Amino acid sequence: MSPRGAASYKKKDGTIAISADEKSVSWSPAVAGAGNMITIPVVNITNLQQTPASNPKVMLKIFAQAPDAPPDSTPDQYVFQFTAGADARPQADVIKDTLSARINSAKSATPSQTPGPRGGSEGLSAAMAIANAVTSAGTSKSPLDDENKLRSDIELQQSLLRSDSNLQRMFFEGLHTKPEALSSGSFVSQFWSTRLHLLRAHAIEQGQIRGSYNVLSSLKPRVEDNVTRLNISKEQIQLIFSQHPLVKRVYDENVPKLSEQQFWSRFFQSRLFKKLRGERITEADATDAVLDKYLRTDEGAKPDRDTNIHHFLDLAGNELNHSQRRGNRPELDMRPSGVDKVPIIRTLNSLSEKIMANVAPADGDMSAPIGINEEAWKKLQLQDLRGEEAQSRITLNIRDQSRFFTHGQEEDKTKQFAKQDPDQLLQTLRAEINQNLPSQGNTQLRKLVDPGDDEDEEMEDAPASRRPVGSSAALHDAFSQLLEALRVRRAQMTERAASETYGLSMALFDRLTLTHATTTEFLHQFWQAFLSGNPDRAGEVASLAESLQRARERIEAVANDAEAERKVEVDRLKKQARDVYESTGRKLRVNLEGVEGGQKVVNQLLGPTLHALEVASTRYQRELAEQKSKEAAIASQEMAGT
Amino acid sequence: MNSVDASEHYELGAPDLSPSLLTIVIDTNPHAWAVLEDSLPLSKAIANILVFINAHLACNYANEVAVVASHSQKAAWLYPSHSEPQYRPADHDGDVTMNGTSDTTTPKTNKYRPFRIVEEQVTRNLKELMDSTTGDDLRGNMSTMLAGALTLALSHINRRTLAWAEEHGGANTEDAAADGNGGGTTSTNRYSASNEDERLQSRILVVSVSGSTDAAHQYIPVMNSIFACQRLSIPIDVCKLSGDAVFLQQASDATKGVYMALAEPRGLLQYLMMAFLPDQRSRRHLVLPTRVDVDFRAACFCHRRVVDVGFVCSICLSIFCEPPPGGDCMTCGSHLDIRDNAKPALLPRKKKKKKRVNGASGTGTPMSTPTPGP
Repeated sequence: MSPRGAASYKKKDGTIAISADEKSVSWSPAVAGAGNMITIPVVNITNLQQTPASNPKVMLKIFAQAPDAPPDSTPDQYVFQFTAGADARPQADVIKDTLSARINSAKSATPSQTPGPRGGSEGLSAAMAIANAVTSAGTSKSPLDDENKLRSDIELQQSLLRSDSNLQRMFFEGLHTKPEALSSGSFVSQFWSTRLHLLRAHAIEQGQIRGSYNVLSSLKPRVEDNVTRLNISKEQIQLIFSQHPLVKRVYDENVPKLSEQQFWSRFFQSRLFKKLRGERITEADATDAVLDKYLRTDEGAKPDRDTNIHHFLDLAGNELNHSQRRGNRPELDMRPSGVDKVPIIRTLNSLSEKIMANVAPADGDMSAPIGINEEAWKKLQLQDLRGEEAQSRITLNIRDQSRFFTHGQEEDKTKQFAKQDPDQLLQTLRAEINQNLPSQGNTQLRKLVDPGDDEDEEMEDAPASRRPVGSSAALHDAFSQLLEALRVRRAQMTERAASETYGLSMALFDRLTLTHATTTEFLHQFWQAFLSGNPDRAGEVASLAESLQRARERIEAVANDAEAERKVEVDRLKKQARDVYESTGRKLRVNLEGVEGGQKVVNQLLGPTLHALEVASTRYQRELAEQKSKEAAIASQEMAGT
Repeated sequence: MNSVDASEHYELGAPDLSPSLLTIVIDTNPHAWAVLEDSLPLSKAIANILVFINAHLACNYANEVAVVASHSQKAAWLYPSHSEPQYRPADHDGDVTMNGTSDTTTPKTNKYRPFRIVEEQVTRNLKELMDSTTGDDLRGNMSTMLAGALTLALSHINRRTLAWAEEHGGANTEDAAADGNGGGTTSTNRYSASNEDERLQSRILVVSVSGSTDAAHQYIPVMNSIFACQRLSIPIDVCKLSGDAVFLQQASDATKGVYMALAEPRGLLQYLMMAFLPDQRSRRHLVLPTRVDVDFRAACFCHRRVVDVGFVCSICLSIFCEPPPGGDCMTCGSHLDIRDNAKPALLPRKKKKKKRVNGASGTGTPMSTPTPGP
């Protein structure tokens, strides 16, 4: 039976149905005469829109355009509202799905247009979004840019998790400790939504393919029962042919005469093989009547010069660069030497060159200048001859900020300043400077800096506020402040160096880091849901708030375990001391303070996290209480109204 | 790079360590010094600083110094004086005509010449600065021009660095020469870590007396200078004679300088000599007496509340504890698209939803049991 559903069109109730052959969709009024029957052929439909699942209203919007209509005319729109109550959504879904399937098949029949149904674009984010069932002209986006694709690619996510064990641990820990109400699907999607960049990087990494390699050098014959054996695969043969055209030629010319197996076995023992591998040929090497003919053919037989070098850079192409014309003697260095010298280097170089040439640059721009990259091209241009380019900067307007900074303490100071009489204070300053700092460099710095011995004695008992500048007491105070600062700094530096795990065992420290990571993850999800302001996520917020509570419990558990661990250590020390006492009668002083770790350290390390949890849950509780009371107030008002 | 250019031939340059340039920014805000008068008068502070400068100059014959005054209405050079280059220190005529009070007795000083030059110029310029300040300048203006002074200091450092590199044919002669006027994109190369030991070692010491937050309108220029220092790895040392300034703390922390709020300003010399004398190279091997608890908490711009979770302008990065009024950033005025529903919704909408659906279908079954309201 073809799909149908109760739907109203222009506020008139009726029935929407798809015809049996699925070639048209039609709506007929429930009450005869209440409106005209509408029939839309599927081929005319250009787009379908449906309200998202979160919306209580179920509406389907159909855009249709007659095929002979001018291309720029707006398509006709038909809006159907499904009225079947609880059944409305499934009915609408069936109709939409059938229609979009039909439309897709109709579209793919027409060669010019390729339908690009965007998978899963029922956006998590945009509550207002109307899902596009069909987009007629999909922009060809790289799959890497498509966030939804990354988010829904489970295989990719799994492979990323496999390659990153830290992430994997965090993922599973989070998955195990997530609140009940949060479905694992939504947990997973939230988890990945903040890690799209990782997914993208991983996808790119996976997209890399291995390039070709030097085949001949990788072929190693092995000896079995005095017979040299060598296995060679089809791919390897192909690679040999592409890397060494000479071999291909030899194969071509000889194989019908020799058998395949014969050819290869002879080849791998021949001088030619050694030569291609870049090994030196010795007299002891076996000769081969057939293959030795090709020894003299130069494999690299002058591939034509790379014509892509830019003339500006091409020294060889520049006749004027001929140094002998200027009367220099012929250059002796940097000349190509004989082919037979160091054959391995020559072979490797030419091979590398060939391999590289066969790899098309993946990131190359087709429009880029040939033989030179964009940057070099820019460098070549004579920038000096151009006029100055106008600077294209974005102006940042800053308003007066002084109002941001006025607060208590500073105001007091300003007031204190304002009370002073500028003229008078200037006069005092000038007089003092004139007196103490005479010009022409004969200032008695010594006197100014050091009040002198007799003065010092006199003032020894003076209160701190009346000590002269530079008195030994003042210097001493300064000295002790400095020393104090140094001591604090030094203590901190040694402390940091002392232990990496702050006295916790490695396993416990690992647990601590993991707990920290998952807690941060949940905090992140909590704030995202909390601040989204979306009432539909209210349930989610509540469960996340619960999971924050559990996160705190987990931290406490870690702290307790740490404390237990520390206690074991403390007990051990005590026992040791007791043993010593029993055996020698000597009392050992046990430094229990020196035992690191324990609850204190955990709480110290996770202090900020605990604080963050605290803030989040109090904020949540407060907001919840507020809204509840408001709700109650509204409810009571409504009741009063009725 | 050394191996590429010809300078490698001159082996004798190698053991010579580059000298350091110490730039001192003295806050000369008369208001603040008047408050300090009983404990540490300006002249004595200057004398202490001069002794400190001498110590710095004595460390290495090539060491340089620069002194900038951050005055209440302007920033001015105390040393070297750029305004009147024609007056050489030995030129008495110039001095006599300038401060008419001085008599004809030729000074009979027996000082090391570099010390004397600095001392003369600093005292003379300071006097001029004070003489040129009028009471009107100070009325209603209690702040100090720290931003200007820092900028002067930075530009001087930049110029000396270039000049020094050029004179000594260091690794970057070409760079320096090419960038001589204007500083292009390559200017960072000079400061790159690879040649850190070869370039002039510059640092800035700020002797601050005013509360720095009353220079609120300078906030952005000061921060820019701080970031410039951070990038060029020029430490900013702060010697705070009175009060405490959060953003100077951050400045010294960001640039790995020393921050000292003096508990006893009378012992200034002790502080200067112990905490601020070592240059960057020595500091690598020292424990620095800088404070460890720098206040990094972010306070919102609107109410100065310390915030954990807040709003940040996407254009200028200002922090707000609540959405700014009208959705316009209070600092840069950009309109921010803060969604109205930033208010959290914690109660599920279920009840409402049901009502609405029922209402729409119009089947008239709502309000099953209307209980009487209060």
